[in-house]
Formats: sequence, C-alpha cells, structure tokens
Amino acid sequence: MRLAKLDTPVLVYPLVTFRILFGLVMLLSTIRFISLGWIDDHYIDPIIHFTYYGFSWIKVGPPWLMYTLHALMLFAALGIMLGAFYRLSAIVFFLSFTYVELIDITYYLNHYYFVSWVSLLLILLPANRYFSYDVWRKSVPSENFTPWWTIAVLQFMIALVYTFAGLAKINDHWLMEAMPLKIWLPAHHHLPVVGNLLSQEWIAYAFSWAGMLFDCSVFFLLLYKPTRIFAWITLVFFHAITGVLFQIGVFPVVMISASLIFFSPEWHHKLLLSIQKLIGYVGNSTVFNHSYTTPTFVKVVLICFVVFHLLFPWRYILYPGNIFWTEEGYRFSWRVMLMEKAGTATFYVKDSLTNREGVVDNSEFLNSHQEKQMAMQPDMILQYAKFLRAEFIKRGLNDPLVRAEVYVTLNGAPSRLLIDPTVNIAALEDTWKTKNWIMP
Amino acid sequence: MKNRFIVLVFAFGLVACNGSENVGDSFNRTLLLTEIADNLIIPSYQQLDNSSAKLESSLRNFTNNPTIETLILAQQDWVVLYTDWQWATAFNFGPAGEDGLEKSLTEEIGTFPVSETKVEGILQSGTFNLNDFNRDARGIFALEYLLFRVDNNQQALVASMASENRKKFSLALLQNIRSKVQSVLSEWGGVYKPAFIAFFCTDAGSSTSELYNEFVKSFEALKNFKVTLPLGLRAGQTQSEPAKVEAYYSGRSLLGIQQHWMAMKSIWYGTSRHGEAGVGFYEYLENVSGGKELIKATEQQMTMVDNTIINLPNLPSFSQQITTNKQSLDILSIELQKQTRYFKSDLSSLLGIAITFASGDGD
Repeated sequence: MRLAKLDTPVLVYPLVTFRILFGLVMLLSTIRFISLGWIDDHYIDPIIHFTYYGFSWIKVGPPWLMYTLHALMLFAALGIMLGAFYRLSAIVFFLSFTYVELIDITYYLNHYYFVSWVSLLLILLPANRYFSYDVWRKSVPSENFTPWWTIAVLQFMIALVYTFAGLAKINDHWLMEAMPLKIWLPAHHHLPVVGNLLSQEWIAYAFSWAGMLFDCSVFFLLLYKPTRIFAWITLVFFHAITGVLFQIGVFPVVMISASLIFFSPEWHHKLLLSIQKLIGYVGNSTVFNHSYTTPTFVKVVLICFVVFHLLFPWRYILYPGNIFWTEEGYRFSWRVMLMEKAGTATFYVKDSLTNREGVVDNSEFLNSHQEKQMAMQPDMILQYAKFLRAEFIKRGLNDPLVRAEVYVTLNGAPSRLLIDPTVNIAALEDTWKTKNWIMP
Repeated sequence: MKNRFIVLVFAFGLVACNGSENVGDSFNRTLLLTEIADNLIIPSYQQLDNSSAKLESSLRNFTNNPTIETLILAQQDWVVLYTDWQWATAFNFGPAGEDGLEKSLTEEIGTFPVSETKVEGILQSGTFNLNDFNRDARGIFALEYLLFRVDNNQQALVASMASENRKKFSLALLQNIRSKVQSVLSEWGGVYKPAFIAFFCTDAGSSTSELYNEFVKSFEALKNFKVTLPLGLRAGQTQSEPAKVEAYYSGRSLLGIQQHWMAMKSIWYGTSRHGEAGVGFYEYLENVSGGKELIKATEQQMTMVDNTIINLPNLPSFSQQITTNKQSLDILSIELQKQTRYFKSDLSSLLGIAITFASGDGD
C-alpha cells in the first residue's frame, strides 16, 4: 500500500458520529464514576496504590485535585461531544483520564486502556470539522471530507479489541471445558426466560464457542457490506447479554456505539441531518476539500502505532508457562472475561536480627478490591511485599524479609501455591524478564 | 434508622434480580437466604435480645443491692450474653451494617480491647456519650470491665458498685446494647427480611454476596483479633499481648473462640445453633462443578481446627495460656490461617460470588 492512499478523501460523517457518541458515553461514564463515590473509594481512601510498570512515578494527587480532574474530565467529554474547543477538550480528556487510570493498576480494565488510546487519537483527528460548536463559531471551516486514515484508524482499534479477544478464547479451558462460563452462567439462573437455560451445561459450551466465533469474525463481518447490519445487531445482542450477566460497567455501551463507525457515510449523514433538524442546528457553508497531504511524520507515527498494537499483545509468547497462571503479558492484550481466578495471599514479615516472624493483616493496608486483585497477580504481590518491607522498617524492624503464601484457584480447580513461599519477595525486582519465582 | 438503605436494597433488588427465582435443577439461592435468615440470623438476634434482657434485670439487682450473690448472678448472665453474641456477630449488613456515622453492630457493641483509661475517666466524671467515636469505652466488653476483675476479687467489685457513676454507667451501657440489638431485630422482623431474600443475586451488593463477605470478615476477625494478635504473631509485634484477648477480664476468651468458630461452621453448613439441618454454603457447593472437592478440603481443615480447639484446656484462661501453653495456641492460629483460603477465594470463586461491595467493574 502506498502512503498516499492514506490521504484518500472520504466522507467525514462516520467520524463525526463517533466523536459525538464517544463524548456522550464518556460524559455518562464519568458522571457514573463520580456518583458511585469511586473517586474516594479508588483514589482518596486507599493507603497505598499499585503502580504500572514504568509508571511508578505517577502519584495520586490530593483530594481536591482528584475531584478537579474528574470535573475537568466531565467538561472535556462534553467538549468532545459538542465539538467545542475540540482539540483542547481531547487533550484535557486524554491527559486527565490517562493520569487517573495510571494511578492504580488494581482498577485496570481493557476498555479503559481502549479509551485512553482512542482519546489520544481523537486529538489528531479532525472530528470537529462538521456539525460542531467549533464550526458554528467559525473557528474551523466546515468540511464534508476527511483523509481515509482518520476513519480507518478507529476501525482498526475496534478490530483489535474483538479479534484479539477472540484469539485469546482459542484455548483448552474456554473451548473444551467451557470454563469459566460453566461457573459464571449458573450463578444467573434466576433471570427471567433464559434463567433455566443458564444452568445447563450445554449452554456454557454454546456461549463459549459462539463468543469465540463472534469475536474472531465480527470485524470482517462489519467491514463487508452485505453482512454489516447482521453483524452489528449480533454485536448489540452479545453486549446486551454480557452487560446483564456480568459486572462490566459501561464497556458494552462503549463498544456498541463505537462500532457504528463501520456504517456507510450516507447512513451517518442521514443520522446527523436528523439530529441537526431535531435541535435546529444550522451549519455554515461547507468547504469541499478533495485533496489532503498528511505530513509524512504523522504517517510514520501512525504506522508505528499500528505495528505496536499488532505486536504488543503477542508478547506473552516470549514467556514460558501458562499465561493464565503467571499473567506475564496478560494485560494490554484485550483478554476480557477469560478466566475465573481468585487467591488468598498471606504475607509474613520477619525481623532479620531477632528472627521473629509475624503475619500481615492485609485489610490494614488494602481495600478489598486491591486485596482481591493483588492476591492473584505476581507483579502486584511483589509491589505489596516491597511496600510491607518499607512500612515495617518504619515500624522499627531490622532488615525485614517478606515472604508470602499465595493460594490461587484458576477456573474452579483446587487452589495451589502461586509463588515460592520461601522466597524473600521484597528483594526481587519487577522486570520484563520471566518471573522464575512463580510456581509452574 | 436504616430506611434509606432498605429502599436502596429494594430498588436494586428489583432491578438486578427481577422477580422470582426459577426452581430448576440448580441451586436455589432464595432457599439459602430464607433458611439462613430463619434458622440463624433472626434466632441469633432474638437470643441476644433475651440474654440482654436477662442481664438487665440481674444487673439492676446487683446495682441496687451489691452483694457477692447478686454479682455472681450478673456475671453468669453476662457470660450467657457473651456466648450469644458470638452467634450474632457475623451478620454486619443491612440493619446491622454501617449507616452514616454509625458503624456495624460488631463495632458498636463488640469492640475490644477496652480502653481502661477512657472507662475510668467516665467513672470519675460521671459524664458519657454513647454515640461518639469511643467505641472502646462501651458495648459488651466495657460492661465486662465493670463486672469482672482479672484477679477475680469479688469483694472489690461489690465495693466499687457503691459509686453512683458506676451504677449509672453500667446500666446505660446495657441499655445501649439492648437498644442496638432491638433495632436490628425489629428490622429483620419487619421490612428487611423480604428485601434480603429478594436480592438473591451474586453481584456486589446482593444479599448472597453480603452474607458471604461478612461471613469471611467475621472469620478473619476471629483469626486476626481473637487469636493471632494477642499471641503476638502479627507482623511487627515484638511480644505477645495477652491483655488484648476478647473477654480479658472474665477470662472467658476460649469460650468465645469456640462459640465463634461453631457459628462459622453453622453458617457454612446452614445448620441452626442447636444443630437442626438447613441450607448453607455446603448445599450450594454440592450443586456446582468442583464443589465436592472443595467440600472435602474444607471439612478436612475444619476437623484440624476442631481438634486443636478441643485439645485446649479450659483453664487457665486463654490469656494465661498465652504464657503457659503458647505452642498449642500458636497451632490454633496456624490452623485457622490454613482454613482461610477455603472460605475466602476458593469458595467465592466456585460460587461466582462478588467479593467486594460496590468495588467497581470487571472485564
């Protein structure tokens, strides 16, 4: 493919709908987050925060800052939706959202990761060039066209989410044993109509296979015009079911709205015109620009972006062992709702001088969400051990050694030791290298 | 008192659970919640209400007419109350949960160790406020401090009841306990029970998840605060701290530990305090894949804990045994620790119960 093809002019409407819906969903999601009291629960109340590898310099701010940031996020989402001070809004949204996400890895979700990347992209995309406050106030010209890549890159992001999620489902547990759906579905047998079905074993198999086939194929079916509407209705159905069954927050709404980007520009044009009519919006005269030249460095960055996203989720191949057990290369790979995993982690801190060893009460330092996530993820176990060492140095222990007995159950199997219970984990470092202290 | 909360539960319950449960071949959680409410929760609060009423009358006798005889009667009734409390301490949700400034029932009436300084200050000044943050100066164990002495000097206890402040305060403590228990009991007898049963999902905030989470929390409180802490086995402790046991003054900690442990097992099995069969997590496990293995592992470890507890002599008191019989007590702490994962991660994972309350989303 020649680089010039990236600049092919196409109708801008899908990008505009995307901007409006993305802004709206982010607005609602931020309101939901604030009203559930999660700013306090997630960021203000906890005593410690688990950092992301390479981002341990990101610290939580004081309460007033956390509140201000969420307020900013709210206005920025509104700005994106309305196309008002669009680029500034996108920058503010990207920075505030990403900063907040980077504070504590406990709350990592694939769709937050998705939102961060998409909002970064939105800074570069001319999504406010049609039907926006910026056009109305004449700070940007109204345009019907946009370079092809500006829409394709968003379609690419959606393809990533589904296709990698689908590939991840091609494994023994998921397909041959219908795990973890065999555990999850019967817990919902009270639902009307489908309830009785959910407790039957064949349904777990049917859901597992259907989920895998859907995820792997939906991108292609959305791309191909004859199957598009069928694919999207299936997608809505699929997300509606998972939304009812599992606690996955706004994820279904994000994906349902974002995937509209595959629809034809004519369809989007009609949609936008009817919204304009509804609210009495009168746009300015439109510039018909039929030739674009995106700067070469932008194209190079774009290609790097695509290559990164195609390769990064595969890094787990470089680690030995079962990825579900070690979680090396698990995050940032669109592995959603793939396993039922839980652990009980007991930490022991020993004074090197007196040899006295004591057991840690995790609830003294962690909230239940943090404890739950930490108890099954080796990198978080390591961070917590380092925190405990520092904490008990402060409390007067001599060169404290920290070991942990961590029992983890994966997909309903009897729990067993996740890490070597004799190793002083506080002395280890987290790196990209294989964690050889994880039990096989 | 907690009406807002109940409305919330109803609202969520209707949205999230949507109607009645299908009675299929799979496990019926409505039955689990109904049986636990009827066989365990409500009878436990009733029992606690009875024993606090009984203690109120014997305490009145003692304060009106302090003699060794009236003291002993009041002490006996306190021990019954203390025993009954162990059966009611695991249900800190709904009417017994936190509500604004008010903490859970366990924190409100079951806080230990007692702050002797604060209680003595109150006895000196005669002024007290039973709604402030000083939960270590009220409840069952502050009352214990007024009724018992570690040296069991009954004469001194009888003599001290001459103080008007002491009379006033001990009766006020008991009335405070009674009113808290009664308020919880009356909500269970009224609007809360149907709400509890209606909200039979497994998501965060559902009754199943709250019952389960408080069960685990109570088990951990037994292990961490009644056993591990006084033994000096917590990280950072440099020595054992026998005075931090529950029921330090009466010397009945071991009784409390035994009863608390039996209550834990009852919830797991769904049996009543008197041993009548019911429905608990055990039956639930029998109905899910992998459940049988977990039942076996859990029961094996329960037997280990049982044996350790049975082998502990009743005398001297637990706090004294911390010095004289520490090795056996350390084993109890270890066995309880081994039990944890069978109650905590393994159970919630198999049953698909959300561990955290309003914790956020998953993916």
